Amino acid sequence: MYFIYFGKQVNPTIGLFIEQLEKSADALEDYGISVAMVNCTNEHIEKYCTGEKLMKKVYLFRGGNVLKSFDTDTVFDVNAIVSHVLFTVLFDEVRYVHTIAELQSVERAAKGKADIVLGHVQVLGLPEHRALMETAFVYGVKYQFVLTTGGPVLTNMGVEDISSLTAGLWFLHCKGASQSQHSDPCPHTALRRALTTLHIYTFLQLMEAPLVVRSQSEASVEPSEVNMVHSHLQVPLLFLFSQPHTVALDRVTAQTLAWRLRGQVGLVLIHRESPDVKIPLEYNAAYRLPGEGSEVKYLILNNLEEVIDLFRDESTPEEEEDDDNWATLDVLDDEVAESVYRDRGQSLDMDAVTELTADIFHSAVAESDYTVVLFYVKWDAVSMAFMQSYIEVSESLEDADVSDVELAVLDCGEWTDVCSAQKISFFPTVRLYRPQEPSQPYQGMLGTESLNRFIMLSRLVSPVLLSSPDEVTSFLKGDLYQRHAAIAPVTVLGLFSSTADAGVSVFKEAAKALRGETMVGLFADRQAEIWAVEYSVTLPAILVSRGPTGQTEAHSLNLSMPDQLVTHIQRALLDTFPELTVENLPLYLELKKQLLVLFVGEEERGRKENRVLEDMRSLLNTGLINPYLPCWIHLGRTPAGKAVLEAYLGFLPLLPALVVSQLATGGEVFHYPTGRPLMVQPILQWLQRVEDGEEPPTGVIVDEKWMPSMPFYDFLSVMDQEVPGYASQRSAKTKTSRIERAEGEKSSSGERQARAGAHNPQGSPTTKPPQTPHHHSEL
Amino acid sequence: MDSPILLLLALLIALIQCFPDDYHSHNSTRHHDYCVLGAGPAGLQMGHFLSKSQRDYIILERNSGPGSFFNIYPRHRKLISINKIYTGRRNREFNLRHDWNSLLSDRPDLLLQRVSRELYPDADSFPRYLSMYVKELGLKVQYGVDIGKIRASESESPRGRGYILTDQRGLDYTCRVLLVSTGLWDPQKVQFEGSDLVEGYESIPVDPEEYKDQAVLILGKGNSAFETAQSILGRASRIHLYSPSPVRLAWQTHYVGDLRAVNNELLDTYQLKSLDGLVEGGLEDIAIVRNGEDEKKRSGRKKKCRSSGKEKRGKLFLTLSELLDSSDGRNSSKVTATNLPVYHNDNFSLRQPYDRVIRCLGFRFNFSIFDGSARPPSSEGARGRLPGVTAWYEGRGTPDLFVLGTAAHSRDYRSSAGGFIHGFRYTVRAVHRVLELRYHSNSWPAIKLSISQLQSWLLRRVNEASGPYQMFGVLGDIILLRGSHCEYLEEFPLQALPQFSSLSGHQLSKHGLLVLVLQYGLNRTDSLGPGRAESEWTRAWRSNFLHPVLYYYDKLPTERDMRHRPVGWPLPRPKAVHHMIEDFLTEWDGPISHSQPLRRFLEHCLHTDLRAFYAESCFRFSLTNQKPPLFCRQGYLRKHGVVRNSQLWQHAHDAGLMPGGQDSASPDTDPSFPDYLTRAGTSVSSAINLDF
Repeated sequence: MYFIYFGKQVNPTIGLFIEQLEKSADALEDYGISVAMVNCTNEHIEKYCTGEKLMKKVYLFRGGNVLKSFDTDTVFDVNAIVSHVLFTVLFDEVRYVHTIAELQSVERAAKGKADIVLGHVQVLGLPEHRALMETAFVYGVKYQFVLTTGGPVLTNMGVEDISSLTAGLWFLHCKGASQSQHSDPCPHTALRRALTTLHIYTFLQLMEAPLVVRSQSEASVEPSEVNMVHSHLQVPLLFLFSQPHTVALDRVTAQTLAWRLRGQVGLVLIHRESPDVKIPLEYNAAYRLPGEGSEVKYLILNNLEEVIDLFRDESTPEEEEDDDNWATLDVLDDEVAESVYRDRGQSLDMDAVTELTADIFHSAVAESDYTVVLFYVKWDAVSMAFMQSYIEVSESLEDADVSDVELAVLDCGEWTDVCSAQKISFFPTVRLYRPQEPSQPYQGMLGTESLNRFIMLSRLVSPVLLSSPDEVTSFLKGDLYQRHAAIAPVTVLGLFSSTADAGVSVFKEAAKALRGETMVGLFADRQAEIWAVEYSVTLPAILVSRGPTGQTEAHSLNLSMPDQLVTHIQRALLDTFPELTVENLPLYLELKKQLLVLFVGEEERGRKENRVLEDMRSLLNTGLINPYLPCWIHLGRTPAGKAVLEAYLGFLPLLPALVVSQLATGGEVFHYPTGRPLMVQPILQWLQRVEDGEEPPTGVIVDEKWMPSMPFYDFLSVMDQEVPGYASQRSAKTKTSRIERAEGEKSSSGERQARAGAHNPQGSPTTKPPQTPHHHSEL
Repeated sequence: MDSPILLLLALLIALIQCFPDDYHSHNSTRHHDYCVLGAGPAGLQMGHFLSKSQRDYIILERNSGPGSFFNIYPRHRKLISINKIYTGRRNREFNLRHDWNSLLSDRPDLLLQRVSRELYPDADSFPRYLSMYVKELGLKVQYGVDIGKIRASESESPRGRGYILTDQRGLDYTCRVLLVSTGLWDPQKVQFEGSDLVEGYESIPVDPEEYKDQAVLILGKGNSAFETAQSILGRASRIHLYSPSPVRLAWQTHYVGDLRAVNNELLDTYQLKSLDGLVEGGLEDIAIVRNGEDEKKRSGRKKKCRSSGKEKRGKLFLTLSELLDSSDGRNSSKVTATNLPVYHNDNFSLRQPYDRVIRCLGFRFNFSIFDGSARPPSSEGARGRLPGVTAWYEGRGTPDLFVLGTAAHSRDYRSSAGGFIHGFRYTVRAVHRVLELRYHSNSWPAIKLSISQLQSWLLRRVNEASGPYQMFGVLGDIILLRGSHCEYLEEFPLQALPQFSSLSGHQLSKHGLLVLVLQYGLNRTDSLGPGRAESEWTRAWRSNFLHPVLYYYDKLPTERDMRHRPVGWPLPRPKAVHHMIEDFLTEWDGPISHSQPLRRFLEHCLHTDLRAFYAESCFRFSLTNQKPPLFCRQGYLRKHGVVRNSQLWQHAHDAGLMPGGQDSASPDTDPSFPDYLTRAGTSVSSAINLDF
C-alpha cells in the first residue's frame, strides 16, 4: 500500500504537512504502508498533478487503485495520518455502532466466540484515535473491535457525563458468556487510564489473565514469592488468605472482589493450610504494590468496600502524573542557564585571564596600562556564558600582540569585600581600570566583538587632538588610526575655532565619556573654518564620518552639559538607513519610531541587493517618510530576522519584503504586497494608504505580559495536603492550648528519651505515702 | 609658618579641650548621647558601630579592662566557641560563619585568630582580643566606673527622657540613650534546705587534685556542669549530675547553649557504667544534709570536707525536704536514718553520700542596679532570669533603653544564637540601625537592585551571609519589591516585621516584600538516623538542617498575624513560601536543585518571566512584542545583551530552547521548505469531528 502526496508549490501550511508526512513514514512502515511524495513540477503524473497550484489532497493506494483520498487539513500531523490511514485500512474489520441495539447485535454475534473491545473517541486524528487504531491493527484477529460515536451507547457503559469523556475503552467479556442468554449484555470492564498504546496493551493483557489465581497448585506460597503477569504489568496484587473450612465462601468473595477490581488489581487466593505458607494468623489479606522489591503489607479486612477503597487510594495515578510533572520542571528552560549547564563537562581555560584576589586586586589594576576586570559569580549563568567570550577576547588580544591590556576576572562569590567596595550590584560587570584614573564601566554587548572593540578603542586617547588640516583629513578618512578604523569605521570630529572656546572643555569631557565607544577627534583652530564652510555649518560643530566609503555629516553644537553632548553625539552616530543587527537594534529602538523594514534574503548578494537598497535610499531622500525609521535586515547575517518576519506575517514571503512595524504605536504590521515594484512612488502611495487605515494589517505585535513560563512549586499547598494544620495560622481561641500542647509534647518526648537511662529518685518516697505530690517545675 | 604664636595657639586649644573634662568631673555630671554599660563583647560591638557613625558615646566599665567576665569564666579556661581558622575559603563574610568569637569590624584582620590559633581557645585570649579591638578601633571606654544606680530622668526634655547613671563615687552620667550590655553575672541559685552547704561554680577550686577520690554531686546539666565534671573526671570517684530536665545535646537541638560535645565525656562514662551518672529531679524540694555533724561543727566547716577515711561522718546526703523531721525544728535537726530516702527505698539512686555538692545553674541578669523608673521587667521565658525586651531589643516599658548581648537572649532563648557572641554581634548591628533611624533619621541601609539581578543576589546571600546563618530564624533579609527593581535590606529582626516601616524608614509598595530566612527543619528527633537529610528539592520543606526559606507577603504582616503564626514558624503564613533544599556543603548554587526552583518562585511572586535570553532571542522579542521579557528590557535594550558564543549557542539549540530548534531534525537547507514549521504547526492543528 502507498500513501502518496503530489505537490507543486509550497505555502507554510503545505510545508508543515510535508514535514509531518515525512515523519509518518516510519510509523506507517510498521503497517506495511509506504509513504511517498511526487514533485509535479519535475514529474507530471496525469490525473494527480492537474488542478490548482497548491495541491491539498493526498491519496492512499492499494495495488493500483485509490483506496481513499484525504484532505491535507484532515491529516494534519503524524497522529492524524496514522489514525486515518489505519482507519481506512481496517474499515471492514472494525464495526461501528450508534445505538444500543446495534451494539447488542454485535454482542450476540460474538458471544462464546470472541471478546469485544469497544472504543470511543470524540475527535478523529488525535493520539487517542491513533492508539486505538494501532491496537485494532494488532489485535483485530483476536478481538472484535467496535467504535462508537457516543450518546446512548456510552450511557449504557455507565458513563455519567458523556460530553466530558473525550476517549474511552471497554472490554466486553463475551467469549465466556453463554449464548443461550442472548439478551443479556456481556459483562464489561472499563479502562480507567488515558488511551495510549501502552495502557491499552496492559489492559488487554490483564483481561486475559485469570480472574482469581487460586488452589494449592498455583498459590501455596508466600505472597512475596508470587510472580504473575500482573507484576510485569506494574499492577498491584491483592492476596486473600483462605481457611480450609471457608474455602468455598472465600472463593465467592475473591470472585466478587476480582470483578470489581478487574483491570486494576490482580487477585490471588492463598491457602493457609499449605506448609510453606507462614502468614501471621491475625491477618486475612495482604497486598503488594508494583515495583522492584516493594514489600508485602498485611492487613485485616472486614468488608469489600474497604478493599476497593484501599486500591482507590493505593493505585495512585494522580501522584504518578504529579511526579512526571515535576520531573519536567527539572529541565532547565532558561536558554542561557541550560547552555551553560550543558557545557559543565568542559572546564574553562582560565589560564588566559588573570584570576584576581583581594590581596592582589589593587596592585594588579595599578600595574598595567589597562586592566579589564570581569566581576562574576559562578552561579549566575549569564556571567558564566559571558566568561567564555571573555576568554576568547583575551586569547585574541594575545594573538594580536596587544601587551598593554590585562584581562582579569574576580569571583565575587569569594572576594566579596572587593566587590562590595567596588559597589558591584550587577553580574556580570566589566570595568576598565587605568592607573590614576577612575574606573570606566563597560556598557556594551556581552560579546567578543563589542568587548574587543571597546578595548581597542579605549587604548586611544579621547579626544585625539589634531593639529593640522592634513591630520584632520587623514583622521576623517580613517587613515590616521587604520587599525581602529577597521573595527569602528564611524568617527566623530569636534571642530572649534579656537582652543579658548568654552565648549572645548565640555567636548573633552564628553569625549572622555565616549572613550571605548567611538573614536573622537578634536580640532580647535582657526582653520576649522574650512570644514565649516564645506559642510555649511557654523562652529562649533561635529563631523561624523562613516569611513572611507561612507558619507560625512555635519552637526552644529550648542550644548553646555557633557551629558547632553554625549547623547547628542550618540544620536548623530546613528545611521539614517541602518542595517538592523542583533547588536545595534537597541540603539534604534530608542528612537521609538515606526519601523519601515526591508527584509533582504540571504541569497541576495551584490548587485541586486545594492539596487534594492539604493531604491530605498532614494525613498529616504524624498524626506516624506519622517515618522518612520527606514531600515533593513539581512536574513543571512541576522537569521533571527527570519523568525521576526514569520511572526509578523504568519508565513515567509518572497524576499525582499517590505514591512511597516508599528512597534511603538498601535502594534500593527503591514506587508507591502509581493510583486509590486519596490519603487519610490508605489511605496509612498502604500504608506499613505497605511496611514489612512485603508490597508488591512497583516499581523499584530503582541502586547502580552511575560508571565512565568512554568508554575512554581507551591510548598504551602503541599504542606497543607501532607501535614494539615502545619502551615495554618493559629486561631485566636486555640492559641494558648495549642502552644501548651506543642510544648507538652516536646517535653514528654524528651522524658521518654531520658527515661531509658535516667534513674528517677522520686520513685523512692512513694513507698512511704508522700504528703504532697511532686510536681517539678521546669528549670 | 612655624611661628611661636601658632604653637601657643595650639597649646591654648589643647587646654580648652581639656577643660570640659575637668569641668564635668568637678560638677559631677557628664552627658553623652549614648551610654554603653559594660565593655564586654556586646558593649564593644556597639561601641564600634557608634564610633563608625561618629556618635557621641561612652562605654562605662567597672573593671580595669574589657571582657572581665572572661577573666573568671569559664572556670576551667577553655572557650567552647568555635575558632575555625581554616575553612578552605577566603570569603571573609563566609568565614564568619565559622568564627564564633570575633566581633564585627571593617578590618579584615581584627579577628580572634590573631590571638589564638586553637579551635577552642584559652579563655585568657578573649580579653586580650577585646583589648586589641578597643585599641585598634580607638573605642572610648572609661574603666573603673561602677554604676550602682540607674534612673530615668524626670524632666521631659525636648530630646526625650534620658537616663541618669550614678557610679561608685556618686558621679552622674546622663545619657539620652542607654545601651545595657552588662551581661549575666549573678549566679542563679535555688533555695532549699541545706543550700548553704552547696558550693558555687563561681568559687569552686579548679585544681582536679582537690577532688581526689571524692564523690561529687553537681546540680545542673548545662555546659558549666559538664565542664566541671570533665575537669575532675580523672580524680573524682563518682560524679552525679542532678537537675529537673534531661540533658539537651546541642548537636541534636541545634542550640549552642545546650550541651556541647566538647565537654560531654561524662555521657560516655555514664553509659558505659563507669561510676558517673545523670539523674532528673526537682531542685526546690530537695535538701542537702550533713551526717554526724553538730551545729557548731557545721557552722565552723562549711564547705571543706577533708575526711580521709571511708566513714560517712561529715558527708553530704541528698534527701527530700519532706523527709526531714519538721517537728524537731529546722535548725536543730539531727539527721537520722529516717530522714534519708534510702531508709524508705533501698535502691534510691542517690543514696550514697557526697563529699561535695556543686551548683552549676547558670547566671541571671542583675536587675538591682535599676531604679523602678528604669527597670525592664523580667522576661516571660528563661525563668525570668533575663530582662524582657521588644523585638528590636528595647526594654519593655523603658523607652530609649536597649539591652544588648547575652542579656538580650530572651528573644530567642533556646532557639537561636542571640545569647552568644556569634549571634549578638549581628543583633547589635540591627539595634544600631534602629538607633540611626530613630535618632538621626538615617534609614536602614538598602541596596537597589534590578529585578533581573535579584536571584543572583539572593544566592550570594545564602551562600555567604553570616548574620542570617548564625541568627537563624531571628534575623532575615528583607527585599522590598518595587516593580522592575527592588531594595535589599540585610538582617532585619523578623519579630519586628509589623513595625518594619517605623524601624527601617522604608515604605512598602503594592508589590509586597520577600523575606529571606535561614532556618532548621522541624523534625529534630533523630539527628544521626537514616533519612535525616533530604535531597529532592520538592521535599525541601522537610529539610532538617539549616536551609534558606523565602516568604512572600503582599503586605506587611500585622502584630496579630505574627502572634498567630503557625506553631514553630518564625513568620506568619505567607502568600507563598519557598524552601531551598538543605545542602550538605551549604553551597546553594545548583542550577537544577537550587537556582531554577528559586527562579520559579520569584517569577510567581513577581508575576513575570525571569528567564535569561541570548541577544538573538531578545532581538526577536524586541521586534515582535511591545514589551519584551524583563531580562531583555534590563539587559539587551540597555545595549547590554548576552551575545552568543558559538559553543553555547549550539547547546541552547540542542536543548530545543531556540525557535526552530525544537526538532532535532537537521535544519532544512531548501528555502522552499523553511524551518519554522513547528511554530506554524501550533496554529494549524484543527479538531475534526467524527463523522461516519
